[in-house]
Amino acid sequence: MSFEVVIASGKGGTGKTFISSNLSYFLYTIGVEAIAVDADVEAPDLLLALGGVKEVLWREEFKGQTIEINYDTCVKCGACIKACRFNALKMEDIGPVVDYALCEGFGTCMLVCPTASISFKPVKRGELYAAKSKSEVLVVTGDLDVGEKNSGLLVYNLKKRAREYNAEVLVVDAAPGIGCPVISSLAGANLLIVVVEPSPQSVKGASRLLKLAEKLKIESLAVLNKYDLNPSFAEKIEQNLKCEIVGEIGYDEKVVESYTSMTPLLKMYPKARISKNLVGIFRKIRERLSI
Amino acid sequence: MKIIAVGGGKGGTGKTVLAVNLAYGLAEKGRRVLLVDLDVDNPCTYTFLDIKLRMIKEVYTYKPKILEEKCTLCGECVKYCPVHALVLIPERKLLFFPTLCESCLNCMVVCPEKAILEDKTVIGWIKQGSMGSIDLIVGEIKPGERKTDEVISETLNYALENADSYDLLILDVPPGTGRGVYEALKHADLVIAVTEPTRLGLNDLRKFYKLLNVVKKESVVVINKYGLKKGVYGELEALIEKLKVRVFEIPYDKHLVEAYISGKIVLEVFPESPSAKAIKEIVDELAIVQA
Repeated sequence: MSFEVVIASGKGGTGKTFISSNLSYFLYTIGVEAIAVDADVEAPDLLLALGGVKEVLWREEFKGQTIEINYDTCVKCGACIKACRFNALKMEDIGPVVDYALCEGFGTCMLVCPTASISFKPVKRGELYAAKSKSEVLVVTGDLDVGEKNSGLLVYNLKKRAREYNAEVLVVDAAPGIGCPVISSLAGANLLIVVVEPSPQSVKGASRLLKLAEKLKIESLAVLNKYDLNPSFAEKIEQNLKCEIVGEIGYDEKVVESYTSMTPLLKMYPKARISKNLVGIFRKIRERLSI
Repeated sequence: MKIIAVGGGKGGTGKTVLAVNLAYGLAEKGRRVLLVDLDVDNPCTYTFLDIKLRMIKEVYTYKPKILEEKCTLCGECVKYCPVHALVLIPERKLLFFPTLCESCLNCMVVCPEKAILEDKTVIGWIKQGSMGSIDLIVGEIKPGERKTDEVISETLNYALENADSYDLLILDVPPGTGRGVYEALKHADLVIAVTEPTRLGLNDLRKFYKLLNVVKKESVVVINKYGLKKGVYGELEALIEKLKVRVFEIPYDKHLVEAYISGKIVLEVFPESPSAKAIKEIVDELAIVQA
């Protein structure tokens, strides 16, 4: 079974993808079999951060389901409308009409329909695919169609597909927040890396995330990113965050540059101070991976 | 009354900072402003405002309540639970995992013994407060709950029901491009898409505009952190040209960073700084739109 490490933050823009891309690249360079999983399916960027696609290995649709009503047999009794907990059905002249935006596709309406006039209908909600990236790291990534729901289920499917490779490590780049997709990212994970920056907003997000990790009984470590933007606040975080801080990273414009040229920082500037710092942190994380 | 939604896809680009500063700037101009924090996973607007929030109401979702004395362990509910939140240990016990439950209540519908009742559980809160002439409504999800979109919708509905006395509603939209974001944008008269001149900002802005094409709303782009070195300026400009939208730039400015990390409003504490001046331009523009 793969060891699963999840990079998350509560607040967006703290450096999750930066850590995820470089951590998976680092593991690759030292010969650890690692797969990078982009679990931010509403705004996926991990493959880009790892250089973009070198070769797509497979691609499949992410399907959900909704329902279809046969108005020839429908007797307009309204039982379906009453049973739906998502207010997705409304009675109109023709009979009950589905609001596809609200329909979750659980089929409660089907269970109560006395004339069996309702059936499931598959719908595409996004896609998932795996690619060898230009930095050689294998990436399993997803893309939820815009305006769609079920991001948590897509993340669940992504992880399931990634686990099939039986790699030593899965590096999971989570979505911002603490909601459904993040919970799916954390389900079954061995280690959470919380990326914090020295701002009250980020600490608030991190604390909410740590509460969630505690509920799910997942061990957590924190990385303090851009700590030099506010050194005195960073010090306070070190004293007060309810989580061991495994390292600090200073602000460096090389990070922006590495994204611009779609090359992981560790590959682009292996000798830079920030890279050496990162490697030091990753070595500490690796010790926790027990691999 | 006009509704302005501040979104953009990527986390950490400055959506909340801009939303709060716009609310402040427009209130200064005498507008009655209601700021609505829809980033329910990690609401941060109030970290910038000197506001004591009071609880308005709890947000609920449905959960089944299993009456053990009536349950015959027949397993029908397990068969129809679409998310495997119910597990039967044959002839011994029915187990319910509330964190997996999607609230469809198929279990209640199919139970032949009527041993399952409809129950409710708290998934979040709506809070309210004010500072000067800015009123604030905040939605917040309870850590461990997954129904982010529902908390967003309830918060939005509550805000819309109470919007009559305002000139402007400013919606602070969460990162991403999913259902919750879609719901928020659907109500907007104008969408402000906040991005940053990085590869990830560019990529996420592209997807955000796919969503904007679906909701068909008027929009402007705000490039925050403009001047950040080694960014993807050429590609970003090319995209914006293709989108044919107006663009505003907020310079990368240490005053804004300082205000941000200390939880202050840059328009208030550094009104003459380059970033404050740029934000004032947007405020002036919105004041015209609203009038």
